Amino acid sequence: MAQATAKGVVHSVASKRGTQREYESVTILRPSTGKPEIAALIERMQGTFTDYGARLIKIDSWGTRILAFPVDHERKGIYLYWRYLGGSDIVAEFERLMGLSDKVIRFYTVRIDEDVDPDARPSEVTEALIDAASEPGPDPEELARLAAEEAARRAAEEAPRERDRERLDRDEEDFFGGPVEDDDDEEGDR
Amino acid sequence: MNDDMRDRDRGDRGDRDRDRGDRGDRGGREGGSSRRKRFAMVADKNLVLDYKNPQLLKNFLSDRGKIVPARISGLTARQQRQLTKAIKRARMLALLPYTS
Repeated sequence: MAQATAKGVVHSVASKRGTQREYESVTILRPSTGKPEIAALIERMQGTFTDYGARLIKIDSWGTRILAFPVDHERKGIYLYWRYLGGSDIVAEFERLMGLSDKVIRFYTVRIDEDVDPDARPSEVTEALIDAASEPGPDPEELARLAAEEAARRAAEEAPRERDRERLDRDEEDFFGGPVEDDDDEEGDR
Repeated sequence: MNDDMRDRDRGDRGDRDRDRGDRGDRGGREGGSSRRKRFAMVADKNLVLDYKNPQLLKNFLSDRGKIVPARISGLTARQQRQLTKAIKRARMLALLPYTS
């Protein structure tokens, strides 16, 4: 009975004793979520992982992305990737808390490995990594607009040069009374 | 009579083979070339079909957002099963559309 209530244990007769499962979850947060709110969410989840005998191995922010279809009336979302080791109960608790958070609009968990020796998977999580993962990232629409502006500016710079080149060609043709062939290639062939 | 029929049959078969050869891409086993035309990225032996790579998965969707069948993409049965799973997971996470 004590075994059944122990935290961080995989309750399956098929699994080896003393091992855990490796899971990965992706959560989508509302685009209005700020850095402190994301950091608070990560901190709260880390507390839950500790309580449940689980361990966060990796956390990564995929930045703000445009969703393929609206989710909860949102067109964009901040993607957060979590990888962790834990027992049978961690996923249910993780998803319960994600469901309770009003900042999370969608989550999805996948089991990637089982019978994992917890000591064999060191955690990559550092303060710097959590800080980087808390960053919502630039707005993709804003980035696209800036890229379009940059392309237009370059095209505007190129246009007068192109016009000058065409005018020079025309002047040469007028001077020689016909189209002028470039003889650089012939020299190159020899 | 029987010989005539056999000859005619053989003649027909010969025509069919020629037709198949003309089509090129379905060319049969004569040339020893691959049986089917495949997507270019399928040639990569280390192709990993993962839901976290929606840019790759997009290649296996039709204009309407449907999953391309294996006879078109040239994937093996195992790869096609991985592909459908990956696409359905990516759809859950709004990385790919259900329909477009």
